[in-house]
Amino acid sequence: MHRDLGRYIYGYVICAAFALFLFSPILWTLSTSLKQPTEMFQWPPVIVGEPSIQHYTAIIADKDFSSALINSIVVSCSTIVVTMALSVPAAFGISHLQKTSMRRLLTLVLALRAAPAMIYIIPYFLFFRQVDLVDTKIALIIVNTMFAIPLAIWYLSSFFDQVPREIEEAAIIDGASTLQVMTLISIPIARSGILATAILVFIGSWNEFLFALTLTRDNAKTAAVAILNFMPFEGTDWGKAAAACVLMLVPIVVFVPFVKKYVAGSTTTGSVKG
Amino acid sequence: MAYSRLNVSWALVTPAIGFLCLATFVPIAAVVALSFVDFNIAFPGKTTFIGIYNYTRFLSDGRFINAAFVTFALVVMPVALQLLCGLALALALKEKLIGTRWMRAASLLPSVVPPAVGGIVWKLFVIPGVGGLSYFASFFGHNFDADLLGGKASALATVIIVSVWFGVPIVALLLLSSLDSIPGEIYEAASLDGASWAQAQRYISIPLVLPAMGAVAVFQALEVLGIFPVIFVLTGGGPAGATEPLNFYAFLTAFTYLDLDYAASILVAFTATIVGACFWFVRRISAGRVGG
Repeated sequence: MHRDLGRYIYGYVICAAFALFLFSPILWTLSTSLKQPTEMFQWPPVIVGEPSIQHYTAIIADKDFSSALINSIVVSCSTIVVTMALSVPAAFGISHLQKTSMRRLLTLVLALRAAPAMIYIIPYFLFFRQVDLVDTKIALIIVNTMFAIPLAIWYLSSFFDQVPREIEEAAIIDGASTLQVMTLISIPIARSGILATAILVFIGSWNEFLFALTLTRDNAKTAAVAILNFMPFEGTDWGKAAAACVLMLVPIVVFVPFVKKYVAGSTTTGSVKG
Repeated sequence: MAYSRLNVSWALVTPAIGFLCLATFVPIAAVVALSFVDFNIAFPGKTTFIGIYNYTRFLSDGRFINAAFVTFALVVMPVALQLLCGLALALALKEKLIGTRWMRAASLLPSVVPPAVGGIVWKLFVIPGVGGLSYFASFFGHNFDADLLGGKASALATVIIVSVWFGVPIVALLLLSSLDSIPGEIYEAASLDGASWAQAQRYISIPLVLPAMGAVAVFQALEVLGIFPVIFVLTGGGPAGATEPLNFYAFLTAFTYLDLDYAASILVAFTATIVGACFWFVRRISAGRVGG
């Protein structure tokens, strides 16, 4: 069967077709971001003429976009910190509960993620308006944390499950407290899983659009929303928009290889949905 | 219990679960309550109970009915196509041919692109005449300059394709992990019996991966309307509401027309339907598994 020609024809044809479908829009954006304005709407279209980084320098110099980029970084990193501070102990605890209560809690955590994110938008908007937190990073951090916790607990508890119980018990016999076991033994052993979870939390927060759109105006706008500045009602500046898209993709492309095993589960159980 | 000596205090679990419950149940209760009152954001003091009035408005709201159909189309079509294309891709990736292994990792990219960025990327790709699509069409000698986002049917088709673009990598990855768990001996036995590669796929791979597809379908059905940002950027719900699903309509009702209570009732109906349908489907497939 391994010599079967059908296997090779199918494999290569399908891979080529999907590579074209999945990557060509992104490559086209990359190419647009490097084009001179005169090449942009040339017929027939060109992939690259004389590459220029003028759009990148322009959007970095653009105060609105660069401050939004900083907001995105601040919000995403703060979301990681808050989410992990809440989820690591919770996941450690859940992983050491009895089987039935553990399953019940995990099911609850997952079920909470079934509702589409849109259902939360009106109450959160009214709440943050009431407490005067609209257009602040704090509001976004709270919302992103809320969406990240189920995902984080789900993954972290499975990582804590993999920590050998014998080591933890040995420490207990030596007189360690629960907190000491967690901080001195289990967290160091599970650190690569914790890092992977942090990256997934970062991606979810970095990509978040709906709440950043409705809960911010000017001060706390994140890059995912500020990118629309380059697409006003008339006359989109495609060079800048494309360059902004490419910049937004940089952390994703850098981080995803580290978490590719977990991405499938994360978008289906954790990330922010419309 | 072997681990009872490790005294897990509920203090570890409570902060996260407590925050989660607070941040989830209270807002949902608030939305449900809001859908039964007459609420004006400028005069919150004048809120009055109006029962199911908002829900009766659905029947005479043509835009709601249209949005319900669009929602149906934007759930069923993308999920069906994602499963089909995802299976096709997973079968190819399973073979680990020379030169295709990198596709296993790289094909994930669209699924982790920020949705708003995905919307811009596709908008740029389909610009009539000068976008990437026209460029590729020119390879085949086509002078392709149709305005895909201008017509109702073509705009809906474009949104469906973008939705497939976002979802296929995840579906392929999930099905691939299911395919990878099929023992190699089964294929060897089939091979000894003279089965071709195509027959092995038809009679081994596909039947064995089929049960996993049900679960994947439910995940994706819950996930697929997350393309709100894409619709926001790509079509804005247009032309003439052709790509306006219920969550998009509710968003506009709330934040453009400021009719918050009606928007709340749309969201409650929308969420109840989607989640209800998925639970029904999950029960059906799990019942089928027990019976079969």
